[in-house]
Amino acid sequence: MSAIAVDRLSHVYAGAEGGVPALEDITIGVEAGKFVVIVGPSGCGKTSLLMMLAGLRHQTEGTILCAGKPISEPDPERVGVVFQEASLFPWLTALDNVEFPLALRGAPRDDRRRRAEEMLSLVGLDGFGGRYPHELSGGMKQRVSIARGLVQDPPVLLMDEPFAALDEQTRMTMGHELLRIWSTTRKTVVFITHSLTEAVYLADEVLVMSARPGRIIDRIEVTLPRPRTYEMMATDTFGQLRERIWQQIRKAP
Amino acid sequence: MRWPKPSTVRWGLLVALLVFWEVMPSTKIIPELFLPSLSKTLTVLWIDRVEYAEALVVTLYEVGVAMVIACGAGILTGAVVGGIATLRNIMLPVFSSLYAVPIVILYPIFTAWFGIGSESKIAFAGIYGFFPVMLSTAAGIRTIDPQYLLAARSMGATLVQQITRVIIPASIPTVLTGLRLGGALTIIGVVVSEMLTASAGIGYLVSRYRTILDSPHVFAAILMILVLSIMFDLLARTVERHTLVWQTAGRRERGAPTAQASTLPAPAPV
Repeated sequence: MSAIAVDRLSHVYAGAEGGVPALEDITIGVEAGKFVVIVGPSGCGKTSLLMMLAGLRHQTEGTILCAGKPISEPDPERVGVVFQEASLFPWLTALDNVEFPLALRGAPRDDRRRRAEEMLSLVGLDGFGGRYPHELSGGMKQRVSIARGLVQDPPVLLMDEPFAALDEQTRMTMGHELLRIWSTTRKTVVFITHSLTEAVYLADEVLVMSARPGRIIDRIEVTLPRPRTYEMMATDTFGQLRERIWQQIRKAP
Repeated sequence: MRWPKPSTVRWGLLVALLVFWEVMPSTKIIPELFLPSLSKTLTVLWIDRVEYAEALVVTLYEVGVAMVIACGAGILTGAVVGGIATLRNIMLPVFSSLYAVPIVILYPIFTAWFGIGSESKIAFAGIYGFFPVMLSTAAGIRTIDPQYLLAARSMGATLVQQITRVIIPASIPTVLTGLRLGGALTIIGVVVSEMLTASAGIGYLVSRYRTILDSPHVFAAILMILVLSIMFDLLARTVERHTLVWQTAGRRERGAPTAQASTLPAPAPV
């Protein structure tokens, strides 16, 4: 059974003359423990698709199954979400931010504190729990976001361009860090990005989407061995994979 | 040359002002009718302390009740108007325009409705302070980053949890600004209405002594109102500072790292 199964999903935004088609006939199967990256031109509906996977938005047609059960509303125990820019609450410390989902469920104070501290240490932020978001760098904020997404131990982690606001160097480091975290937690990850290099570097499989209405126009298996290293970016295989994705995006109407 | 600290300069200016207040009238450069000296004002205040204390109690009572009304009604209406899009589109332009109306023109009507006692002052000052509180609450709620609510929903927050754990803490800074402004306006409202038509209160003392050209008594009352306003502002600032710790935390040690900051583990290279 796949961790995520999207079956003939379509979405139409309400509007004049029957609305605007945003997503068309999308079928995806993601095996448990895989790292899948979705790339596509701006406005192709990648983020909409991710919002639907998270249960934050409803599709017009088609079904989404997560671990065999349909997703109809947000379920943080099955799906964790990491957003584009830091969506951390500025009035809470890093530790309180990570605890937030547990606090919503009314988990006992000691348990959630311990759990949140474990997560912060997993993302490499030991000792930063007492800091407020404005006291952290961009990369550190996204580490806290990842910790928050993982704190309920969901089997699936959805990431919507989590490193888009970071500078190039931080972005590379964070990609590498994410792979380290992923390899210790073995989550199923669906990751959205604009960056082709990031896509190839991170993914087991890259899904390429067309411009609106968004369709899946190519699936590319990334055969590079794991663990990935920065040196692999200079290899022919890496370049060919990157080139193939680029060609697909370029020819997409 | 090193400049003195801003706070030193501020205190220096205050002292200079007080000295000026004392010296100019006593040397007869300024007639006492225009400006009685500080010592004379304080003497008058001390001699008639019972009268002034009674007036202060009346004024404080009116300000207190008016603030409760202004803040309570302001936050409530602001939250409803700011939170519901349809209401916001209908009502916000109306409230914004009403804010510009000199509400003092309504005061004669209030005296007709509520008499010349405390009730008319409370009604007038309550309405006067209501608008900034209401408008800033509405703005505070309207300008919450939708990303916060999306994140909260993704973590399974119910509607009530979204309100208590996201909307309220996120709008507190703007609401506090409104409370500070609204509170200052209720003080103004009470004093102004006491000066217009009243039988008690500090504002009433100002206008009564002015009609008999008793400047020292007028200035004694003015001094009390000054102190009252400044005390309110200091109180409001203290509340703001304690509530908004998260905005300022760590800012102070930015310049010079403290011992505590340096004992933290070195951040991972991010």
